[in-house]
Amino acid sequence: MLFNTWPFLLFLLVVLPVLFALGKTRLWPLWMIVASYCFYGWWNPYYLGLVLYTTTLVFLVVALMERCPEERQKADVLARLTRLRFDDGVAKAAFVASAAAVLGLAAVALAGPATLRPTMVALGVIALLMAVGALFSSRGIWLAVGIVNTLAPLLFFKYARFTVENLNAVLSGFHVPVKLAEPSTLMPFGFAYLLPIGISFFTFQSLSYIIDVYLGKAERERSFLRFANFVCFFPILMSGPIERAGHLLPQFRQFPAVRLQNFTDGASLFLAGLFKKLVLANYLALYVDRVYESPQSFGAPALMLATIAFAWQLYFDFGGYTDMARGVAKIMGFDLVLNFNHPYLATGIGDFWRRWHISFSRWILDYIFMPLQMQWREWRAFGTAAALVVTFLVSGIWHGAAWTFVIWGALHGVGLALTFELERSAFYRKRVPKAVKQVCVFAFVCFTWIFFRANSLPDALLIVRRIFTAAWDGPQIPGLMLAAVALVWLYHVLCESKLRGVLQTRFVRVGLAVLMMLGLFLCSSGGGTFIYFQF
Amino acid sequence: MGTESPTSKPAAAPEAEVPFSSNEVRLDVRQWFLTLVVVTLVMLLTPPLWERIERFHTGPDYRIPYSLSKDYWLYARHLRQVCDPNRVIVLGDSVIWGEYVLPDGTLSHFLNREAGEPNRFINAGVNGLFPLALEGLIEHYGRSLRHQRVILHWNALWVTSPKTDLSVDEEESFNHSRLVPQFSPRIPCYKADANERLSALVERQVSFVAWVSHLQNAYFGQKGILNWTMESDGGNPPRCPNVWRNPLAQITLTVPSAARDDAKRGPKSPRHKPWFAGGAGKTRFDWVALDSSLQWRAFQRLVGILRDRGNDVMVVLGPFNEHLMAEESLRTYRKLRDEISAWLSRNQIPHLAPELLPSVLYADASHPLTEGYELLAKRICAMGDFQKWLRRQ
Repeated sequence: MLFNTWPFLLFLLVVLPVLFALGKTRLWPLWMIVASYCFYGWWNPYYLGLVLYTTTLVFLVVALMERCPEERQKADVLARLTRLRFDDGVAKAAFVASAAAVLGLAAVALAGPATLRPTMVALGVIALLMAVGALFSSRGIWLAVGIVNTLAPLLFFKYARFTVENLNAVLSGFHVPVKLAEPSTLMPFGFAYLLPIGISFFTFQSLSYIIDVYLGKAERERSFLRFANFVCFFPILMSGPIERAGHLLPQFRQFPAVRLQNFTDGASLFLAGLFKKLVLANYLALYVDRVYESPQSFGAPALMLATIAFAWQLYFDFGGYTDMARGVAKIMGFDLVLNFNHPYLATGIGDFWRRWHISFSRWILDYIFMPLQMQWREWRAFGTAAALVVTFLVSGIWHGAAWTFVIWGALHGVGLALTFELERSAFYRKRVPKAVKQVCVFAFVCFTWIFFRANSLPDALLIVRRIFTAAWDGPQIPGLMLAAVALVWLYHVLCESKLRGVLQTRFVRVGLAVLMMLGLFLCSSGGGTFIYFQF
Repeated sequence: MGTESPTSKPAAAPEAEVPFSSNEVRLDVRQWFLTLVVVTLVMLLTPPLWERIERFHTGPDYRIPYSLSKDYWLYARHLRQVCDPNRVIVLGDSVIWGEYVLPDGTLSHFLNREAGEPNRFINAGVNGLFPLALEGLIEHYGRSLRHQRVILHWNALWVTSPKTDLSVDEEESFNHSRLVPQFSPRIPCYKADANERLSALVERQVSFVAWVSHLQNAYFGQKGILNWTMESDGGNPPRCPNVWRNPLAQITLTVPSAARDDAKRGPKSPRHKPWFAGGAGKTRFDWVALDSSLQWRAFQRLVGILRDRGNDVMVVLGPFNEHLMAEESLRTYRKLRDEISAWLSRNQIPHLAPELLPSVLYADASHPLTEGYELLAKRICAMGDFQKWLRRQ
């Protein structure tokens, strides 16, 4: 279900009154889960199984992790394996259940229908890892098992095809007569091999919970209902923001105090998000799609302007989604983190990542960059640079299984590594004019967006080449589109200037709200899905 | 992030921790109220004001131009403008609208000529309609059609096969999908998603939305205003002639009228020829039984809507082109026609079944050529029942 559709409005008109009616009872978390599952299942009810799998797995793994001693103790693994001699009854039960599951799944794989074999093997491996976790019963092992098993569906649905295609290409290059099976042939019951919407988001959110509990940064959630709400909270289920357990979970502990301001603030956020998506993002998409579908037909100005237009399209699309998500959550009394903060006014690449997809940037900073930097701290600046490159390579791969995303991530990683020290220098901070820094960063970010948006790597390279070599003919961009982007940019500049107060006046706020509402009726072009759903 | 016990944590994060947004559109209750009042006033007042400002010339023989067939707001306005107790509104699909003929070659034109009054019979047909859509059009956009004499045309084409009846299960794309029943009764071949169906319902209820659609149809080539700025000439590389044009300048405040010399219609057009001229032979139809036909049921409901609104309805059956039917199909057709006639009689609905036209006067299965309409009008006017109905108070 999309926020920008009528069914969502009806959904909300049912969910909200029932939620507020149940606010004083213990049933409201259950109602939230029902609502969230309906919201997700509207797209594909079968893939609800993945949400349920992730929720149950992470909840169990963290519960089992908590039973392990803080300090590493030597365990008699042989005695546990041969005589089921466990110190902890729960670990023993987990081991027996997992081992039984492995045997059962292996039996079905061997004796059952051939179409189920790959699924049974995959589930068998997951159960085997759980058995290994129970056998060794250490926090570190449970962390590893939790991470691997949580990532497994994401890796299969998002990266299997990319990996198989590339491996097959390599094998064929070396004339090895082996061809790996296409992942779609591994799906059970003839299900289509589709990327489950939002899988990256709920997987990363769940991973942060496991890691935070392991590191002692978050408490284990003892209520399954509350934890299930944390994983599947419908405003953030599809495209984030990626919340942390420490911020969102406590909000589910009791029914939030909903005031009138929740409605006015939530509606304000939702209106801005809807306008960004339906009017601005969809309008820019018309131009971007036309140019990027056949880059060979367009000259340098069109390719440059389409890239700039894409930068804004992506911001309006994803930023609009986030505003709507935060607005809906706000109406229900929940606060979600800010995800975008005028990213195209950034004065450095690091600054850009503090303003763009903030929840994701913080995630990769905390869970990938920091551990790597700690690991490589002896290499000093080189270690930091290497950690940045690796972190952003992962970020690129997270966005999509294609070489264009890998290059996009690598460019940001290298860009950050090269400018990391420069951005901290007094010269850069005090001497270089702010506007120059903003223009340079925007130009760099736009350059990287070419790889993010292009349909293929050859297309991306063609666009880069043509920007520098093709003729300077008319870009065929509508003046109205340029004016819309210029006005939004001016609004952002004003937001960060001393004149911000002007935008806070009643007249400007009401005027903008009226214009946005009428703009939605007059200019919105259809619905359309959100770009970040594919990630 | 701390490690406090669950109970020691606050129920919600303090507001100061989470900034509201990166923009400043944060309205309080009063501001929301003001915003909603302004937007509601604009939405309520714009369509009626626009109707006063925009020029809309509807003289004798006026019919909604082909390019504005989906401008339902204009259709409603047309009906409001022409409804008069002394006039007769002629309702129907492209047979009434005149698919192969010019405005002065339609049934309403020749009826006017027979009556000796230039504007007594009003062409309220729309190209591309069918009973399921006509029902929606009249129910939602024909509210001004009250206490009026109405001629309603029944075209048997819509029951010639399950496909034209829209009762097949396979997805079909058809005209005027926003007019058909969106949820009930169910149309099996209509597979639009819930959002599309709900937005069609909203458009019917909110006049402002239909008015926006009118702007798009009348001034922006059936496109959204933003899409219009990106309209391409189809070349390679595509050129967009509208990129620097001012969209507001397109709004000329005059409803576009149909081109006078429509090359696709009228006696001079290559399409204006008898049905057999292209070598077409006899056809077998897979007739749909009336008791299971979606289109016939919609027609029945439509008659009910019109009569409930105090209209005096006269149904004209066909005349469908029997010349192109294979013998077997013809028998079934006549049986269906008799069933329809019996239903109309049972419900005391005046109806006429004009005599079959000569084969040479049909352009296809249901549309007459200009001379066909002329003859049909003469025959209708010569029928005693019709004259009696016309004179009835």
